[in-house]
Amino acid sequence: METEEGQAQVIQHFVNKASTLETTSSLANLIAEATSHPSLFAFSEILSLPNLLQLQGTEDSAYIDLLRLFAYGTWRDYKGNSALLPKLLPDQILKLKQLTVLTLSETTKVLSYNKLQEELEVSNVRELEDFLINDCMYTGIVKGKLNQVGRCFEVQFAAERDLMHGQLGSMIDTLGNWLATSDTMLSLTEEKIDWASKMCQLNMDRQQELQGRIDEAKKNIHYNVIS
Amino acid sequence: MASSSSSGLTFKLHPLVIVNISDHYTRVKSQTNGCSDGGPPSPPPRVYGCVIGVQRGRTVEIFNSFELLYDPVTHSLDRAFIEKKQELYKKVFPNFYILGWYSTGSDAEESDMQIHKALMDINESPVYVLLNPSINPAQKDLPVTIYESELHVIDGIPQLIFVCSSYTIETVEAERISVDHVAHLKPSDGGSAATQLAAHLTGIHSAIKMLNSRIRVLHHYLVAMQKGEIPCENSLLRQVSSLLRRLPAIESEKFQDDFLMEYNDTLLIAYLAMFTNCSSTMNELVDKFNTAYDRHSRRGGRTAFI
Repeated sequence: METEEGQAQVIQHFVNKASTLETTSSLANLIAEATSHPSLFAFSEILSLPNLLQLQGTEDSAYIDLLRLFAYGTWRDYKGNSALLPKLLPDQILKLKQLTVLTLSETTKVLSYNKLQEELEVSNVRELEDFLINDCMYTGIVKGKLNQVGRCFEVQFAAERDLMHGQLGSMIDTLGNWLATSDTMLSLTEEKIDWASKMCQLNMDRQQELQGRIDEAKKNIHYNVIS
Repeated sequence: MASSSSSGLTFKLHPLVIVNISDHYTRVKSQTNGCSDGGPPSPPPRVYGCVIGVQRGRTVEIFNSFELLYDPVTHSLDRAFIEKKQELYKKVFPNFYILGWYSTGSDAEESDMQIHKALMDINESPVYVLLNPSINPAQKDLPVTIYESELHVIDGIPQLIFVCSSYTIETVEAERISVDHVAHLKPSDGGSAATQLAAHLTGIHSAIKMLNSRIRVLHHYLVAMQKGEIPCENSLLRQVSSLLRRLPAIESEKFQDDFLMEYNDTLLIAYLAMFTNCSSTMNELVDKFNTAYDRHSRRGGRTAFI
């Protein structure tokens, strides 16, 4: 939540700036600036600007691909396409690696060190942990626990990347499932409450009946003694 | 009389103050009702007192309160007592100042302004905390309002009137524990296990109901967004997506193992307790049988029934 609030202003700033720029090279510079900004992790607003789409056909179209890579892709995608994309500055490399961690934590809660090392191309554990601690947890995009003995990173919360089109449908499905589960929980709880009060009532009735029979038996004994 | 305040002060109220005021009111009400029985119910008494706390910059934090006697003759509060109490509190809490006063009732009245003005020489802008003691089950927020005084020009005459201010509740850990404790009070006289279970389950039920309504709102919103009725707002979608990724919250083998083990343990203990109960009842039954039907055979030295 905090990352979103932090980003909102930056996004606004870039959107404003981009809508005023005209030439392709200045837009390319803007993209480079946006992708190296330390607290900007969401690029879909900038991507949807019409100014940028005009970059598509020109020789700077590599930049719009780069922006798309930052919005949806990972470090591995960059490695695969590095011929087509412009050279990355160290800030951008760092950001791409952070975004890779976010993507990885979308699917699995527990990320093993091996997998992380492979995806991020980091050679030793110490560097990996430093990266995770300094660049992911302190910036607040990821919250979790590092398990050194088990060599894994347990993610409790991760900020989201930009959404692709199909994801809205799956989100609605998940929400629908959650809603259905909580509805069943509600009805189950109500059933239990009814059951509990019914049982209590039955128990009390039985106690009273028993008490009635005891009283009767006592009265009968009394009469027997007298008569 | 009360519009919204424009002084820009933020108020923070501690639950201790609310509990104090309500306690004072309840005591006075039960004492006056105890004396006058058989007669028309008297109008609810008004209680008065002072609130103390800290003011840092634009934030006014009300920590504590104490009671005062209202003198209906002079329509004022007991000044000597206020001074004395303030001295005593200063020794324990050197930071606390008298921030204002409190009273009970449904709305602020004209006579309150006199008391307010009288307090203005201790604190140049006192606050007036009003608790509404009438219980309204439909009401969702606390029946406490905080008033400040502002100089408004009405009909050409500058007058002090009360204006409402908003406040937030601020708790210290100790206060949170006691408020939680009070909220979870189970009826102790209807103390059978089933009513306690029902009360506990009802609490869970209302919590799940609230969660349910919120998920429903989100679901509705996303469906509308998908249909295109609402423009897509990326930042919100991102937050919802991040939330949904956290589900399922706990799912791993270890959790299932631990959960099932604990479940089995609970069932075993319940079974064992029932066993013990049954065997002790059997024992009693056998003893009664022996005492009732055994007298004749005792003389012959024959063995008992069992």
